[in-house]
Amino acid sequence: MVYKRRKYHEGDTHLKKKWRTKRRTKDLDEIDEDLQKNSEKLLNQEVDFDRPGGAQHYCLHCARYFINATALQDHFRTKVHKRRLKALETEPYTIEDSERAAGFGSFKAPSKRKIETQPSTDKEEAIDNTSKKMKVDDDI
Amino acid sequence: MRIETCYFCSSRIYPGHGIQFVRNDCKIFKFCRSKCHAAFKKKKNPRKVKWTKAYRKTVGKELTVDPSFEFEKRRHLPIRYDRETWSKAVEAMKKVESIKNKRQGAYIMQRLRKGRELEQERDVKEVQRDLSLIRSPAAGLKERQQGQSVDEDVKESDEEMEGVIEDGGEVTL
Repeated sequence: MVYKRRKYHEGDTHLKKKWRTKRRTKDLDEIDEDLQKNSEKLLNQEVDFDRPGGAQHYCLHCARYFINATALQDHFRTKVHKRRLKALETEPYTIEDSERAAGFGSFKAPSKRKIETQPSTDKEEAIDNTSKKMKVDDDI
Repeated sequence: MRIETCYFCSSRIYPGHGIQFVRNDCKIFKFCRSKCHAAFKKKKNPRKVKWTKAYRKTVGKELTVDPSFEFEKRRHLPIRYDRETWSKAVEAMKKVESIKNKRQGAYIMQRLRKGRELEQERDVKEVQRDLSLIRSPAAGLKERQQGQSVDEDVKESDEEMEGVIEDGGEVTL
């Protein structure tokens, strides 16, 4: 005899966990604020051993810490990062926008701007150049 | 008591409904129902989700810029209570609402009219292109040919009148 399957929601815990408040990552409007106001502070952080890489290698646009300069440079070349840059090109949606859409005041279309990857520091650049040189040497 | 607006879909939230989320930076996000809350948790962009007001306005499906939108607004200005202004305001609200509804409806109808024009154009084109399905181009071909041949015969006979006699009266139909 076949019994009715009782556990319908057995396999979806990972989804619930992913969207839990404790796992919340920064929203686009928060990142936008970071870019405009505290980019200096976030790029030159004090050594914090609770963060990956002592909080020394931070990507502003993706709000992520990396363990070293090479990992950060590699990240700049990934699809995730490029997608994030693209998403930040339009002005982020805010609570005021939601009110304007509801008919409180005239609606304003989001403006577009140019977003580029953060300039890499001298040390990171040096590492990046060496890795390129290494590749050239290999080819020869 | 205040009727709030939903962060995600911009609909009204009546007292006792919905849920609100307070972010680390003290910003309060209000949601009308779990559908909107779940979409927010998944970091969906309201401008790109088709059932939200923000989408309809960014894409130009609804009236966006109009002076009638400037009445209802959060102004952060305390006003001393006065019975007369209150009663006048209530009257004005009704009027503004009716005008706003009229304009929004007119905007949508204006937008749809364009579609109807295009539809008509497309229909005319289709009929012209596919007329052969309704009336075969071969219909009446024989008769036409016959008519032509008769005409030709008439002409030919005129020309051949002299030749016919020579050939011995051979006329083809």
